[in-house]
Amino acid sequence: MKSNLRSEINYDVLNLSGEIDLHHSPKLREEILGSLKGKKSLLINMEDVSYIDSSGIASLVEGFQAAKENKLSYGLLSISGPALQVLTLTRLDKVFTLYNSIDQFQSQLQT
Amino acid sequence: MAAAEKLLEFQFPAKSDHLCILREKLREVLGTCSSSEELRNCIVLAVGEACMNIIEHAYCNNDQGDIILEVEKQGENMIFRLTDFAHRKSCEEEMIGRPLEEIRPGGLGCHIINEIMDEVQLIDCKTKCGNVLQMKKKLDS
Repeated sequence: MKSNLRSEINYDVLNLSGEIDLHHSPKLREEILGSLKGKKSLLINMEDVSYIDSSGIASLVEGFQAAKENKLSYGLLSISGPALQVLTLTRLDKVFTLYNSIDQFQSQLQT
Repeated sequence: MAAAEKLLEFQFPAKSDHLCILREKLREVLGTCSSSEELRNCIVLAVGEACMNIIEHAYCNNDQGDIILEVEKQGENMIFRLTDFAHRKSCEEEMIGRPLEEIRPGGLGCHIINEIMDEVQLIDCKTKCGNVLQMKKKLDS
């Protein structure tokens, strides 16, 4: 897994790529919760995620809960086919807000 | 019943940094058996989840012990057998997924395995230590 956090004025974008499994999920959890601690909304770009297992999904869920508690926006951007398959299997595609573009996320922040 | 053809036997340490090697081996084998990328991805995910359960729950994350993955083709079915040597015996109840209505981290692995595979069973290996988990999936179903 490779990750890169980009900070905008009122939100962060966490770009993820590669495979996310039990070996990487503690780092993912740390990055997501670390970003949310800054009290900024978070958009996670999953376009280049080629594999994610339930431990990676658990990190995403923890972030979802932390964002909800802190009334911050939290979403997944351009989710890849393999990642969407896992979200669908676990029915979390109905729980997370999925965005097709950063503009879509930004316009939701303004409303 | 068609005779089983062994396609892979791979023994590896029950450590999270070995899961990527396991997936690579499995993808190689599946590439010769199924034309559906979606099915191959699902199988890799289910086997990965089962290995993760062994690492976390059978070996309790202590990094000691191996896992053996055997892959067989029997007619239209693929059989995936995972053997561990943990002191802790797993039970069938642990293979039941939790309700998905609960939005919380963790506990999704068994649900994923049961959703993807056609059959999942713990085989009594009769020895003091270890577990054998067998999963069956019909190809291109």
